[in-house]
Amino acid sequence: MKILIAEDDFASRKFMLKFLSKYGECDVTVDGMEAVDAFLMAMDADMPYDLVCLDIMMPTLDGYQALKAIRDIEESRNIPEEEQSKIIMTTALNEGANVNKAFELGCVAYAGKPIDQAKFENVLKKLGLIS
Amino acid sequence: MGEDMITEGMLDMFIFETEQGLENLENICLESKDVGEFDDDHVNGIFRIMHTIKGASAVMMYQNITTLSHKLEDVFYYIRESQPENIPHAELLDYIFEVSDFITGELEKIKEGAETDGNADELIEQLDAYLKKIQESNKGSVAAAPAPQQPAEQEKPHFYIAPVASDASKFYTIYITYAKDTDMANIKAYIAVNSLKGIAEDILFTPADIISNPDSANVVLEFGFRIALQTVEEADRIMELVNASAGIEQVEINECTSDDFIAFCTEAQTPISSAGEVLMAPVEHPTVLIKDQKPQTIPLTSEEEKKPSDSEEKKPKKAPAKKKPVVKKGEAQSFISVNIKKMDLLMDLIGELVIAEAVVLQNPDLKVPGLDLTNFQKSAAQLSKITSELQDAIMAMRMMPLKNTFQKMNRIVYDTSKKLGKDVELQVIGEDTEVDKNIIEHISDPLMHLIRNSVDHGIESNEKRIELGKQEKGKIVLEAKNEGGQVWISVSDNGKGLKKKDILEKAKANGLLGNRSEKDFTDKEIFNFITLPGFSTKKEVTEYSGRGVGMDVVVKNIQDVGGILDIESEEGKGSSMTMKIPLTLAISDGMIFSVSGTSFVTATNSVTEFIRVSKDQLIVEPDGEEYVMIRKECYPLIRLNRFYHLEHGKEDIEEGIVIILNHEERQIAIFADELVGEQEIVVKPIPSYIKKVRGISGCTQLGDGSISLILDTGGLLK
Repeated sequence: MKILIAEDDFASRKFMLKFLSKYGECDVTVDGMEAVDAFLMAMDADMPYDLVCLDIMMPTLDGYQALKAIRDIEESRNIPEEEQSKIIMTTALNEGANVNKAFELGCVAYAGKPIDQAKFENVLKKLGLIS
Repeated sequence: MGEDMITEGMLDMFIFETEQGLENLENICLESKDVGEFDDDHVNGIFRIMHTIKGASAVMMYQNITTLSHKLEDVFYYIRESQPENIPHAELLDYIFEVSDFITGELEKIKEGAETDGNADELIEQLDAYLKKIQESNKGSVAAAPAPQQPAEQEKPHFYIAPVASDASKFYTIYITYAKDTDMANIKAYIAVNSLKGIAEDILFTPADIISNPDSANVVLEFGFRIALQTVEEADRIMELVNASAGIEQVEINECTSDDFIAFCTEAQTPISSAGEVLMAPVEHPTVLIKDQKPQTIPLTSEEEKKPSDSEEKKPKKAPAKKKPVVKKGEAQSFISVNIKKMDLLMDLIGELVIAEAVVLQNPDLKVPGLDLTNFQKSAAQLSKITSELQDAIMAMRMMPLKNTFQKMNRIVYDTSKKLGKDVELQVIGEDTEVDKNIIEHISDPLMHLIRNSVDHGIESNEKRIELGKQEKGKIVLEAKNEGGQVWISVSDNGKGLKKKDILEKAKANGLLGNRSEKDFTDKEIFNFITLPGFSTKKEVTEYSGRGVGMDVVVKNIQDVGGILDIESEEGKGSSMTMKIPLTLAISDGMIFSVSGTSFVTATNSVTEFIRVSKDQLIVEPDGEEYVMIRKECYPLIRLNRFYHLEHGKEDIEEGIVIILNHEERQIAIFADELVGEQEIVVKPIPSYIKKVRGISGCTQLGDGSISLILDTGGLLK
């Protein structure tokens, strides 16, 4: 499985990397813009990411914008829904409004920080990413 | 603006919505209890509720709630689609209540930040079996029943991963002072902060520039160093960590609420940098954020500062996308919750306003002869109108109907009567009566107790009732009404009533009778024995009552809101317990009168009439007690001047005025010198350093600034 992590905070980034490395190859970016670039590159190389974890509060391009950009790219390339990357937002913003906004923009899960590892793994299972 | 209104956390929203759903569920069930079946609306309603709970709990990843609600949804899906004819209704109700209780239990765990580890398997199996049963029994009658399956709409799955233990964290403010001769206090302060970082979810401190600015050492020495901390640790642990650094003179740790925490953050910004500086140089912003920031907590976070253009252009884009959740949460948004302390403050301020108004309008300066006050009077009338509307508004704000509380009682009667095998009907009267929020909180428990008592002790068993020639089904009436500035909430049953003899015997055994003979006790006094701690005439203890704890707690609770419990009972016919609680009318209409220069006020609604009596209406008993005869009614008379030992009061009954006061259907006449007038009074308690005086319940300030004592009719009658 290919995983992309976008996270500007060093500690969180390190944690996510360590946590997700056991499930596959992880790429790390420090802002939303880089994440979108990385996503495009992988797609052009025909090796798209299976899972994308986006922080929301990031410089240059925030998580929502990155999420929307990724979904727009996928749509413009006519990628069917079941083949689209699974996107999980990882953030400390836990208000219902933020969560709903992210769901509307097309993320599949929303994880509040500090991250509950057991539940996170549970979600990955439900999404069929790990067994 | 729509999106700003949903500020609750995801978890709060889930809990709120689920609780509402369950409440509706129970109401539907109890409504249908007597009918014996669900109509289409009910079935659809329950189906929708379970569907919503299933969806929400799946998003929140509470597996057990999801499966259970899914199962119940299946049952109702079958009922809705196949319209089967014979559904064992009582059994179904039991299952629904069990499901509701289970979910409520899990919600409690969620609220405490615990794991939702309840096991619903057994209940799910039972529901499965039940579903099979109704399917079997209806096979014949319903020809082509579609197999119950998933509702057609396949929703795209969403998951919300709740952050770890976010609920259990506490907020602290820490204030550290250093000895005046400490070197590099700023560095020491920073070390303290650093040692807290390990346990902190969020930490802020002021002054914030302790590392970059060497002058801050002086600030720390002079004003101390303040830290706001969000953590799951206890204060002891914090103390330990902070105290590890040297030179500390004193550490003060206070646990605070999240509101205070936010307040700390906002106020911490002001003292050091002026507003202009903040705008121009956001880097010097005195709050420093370490991790787990929440935007509503800290207005300007470092990340947001870095990308002001981003967040600005983001906003207009997102506003239109918010329609869906706004519609969904429509009901919740028409309410806001306000801290009760703020309401109390507003109430107090309005009280002060009323006094100030009286002081202005009755100012002695206006009494100069020949002054033209036409315009003044007009404006004064307008002012009075507004202040009285203001009072009504604040009172109305605090008022809530008893409906919710009463509805819960339905469930209690249902549960208790079921367990005890009794047939009991609950009739609710006056559920729209509104009372102060504070009162609702205090009466909920006592009411529950009274209802349980009624079902358990009051109502006889079915067989016994038939034997006694009573209707088999017992009846409990729960009634609320407003009665002269009080709210009366009564629980009456048509059961066996209280046995005076048994109570007296028990009281005697407990040595409660003192040296009075049994015959001296009035019914009320006898019944009041059951409100004493540890007093129960019941020989066996049931799950619900009979242990002798309870009635005393009931009474205590009622007394906390200044009410009384009135017990009436007739053996063999039933009993009636009435809670009489004053509406918290901190402002009320008062009638002012004076007795030898001292002014007294009494609530206008307790005054029946004023009358001048002639000497021949006065009856003087040999022991000095006086009565007045008015229209062939005899009233006991109290002369306030003698009662309170005031000198130079009018002694001649024909010179003064007699006021008839009533209290709970009893009446009394008091004799005063003269009437002064009527005014809105703001009740203030008598300071604790003055000992309690009989008949005086408080004091108030009059328009001319003088103090007047409030006469309490109930106290006078005792």
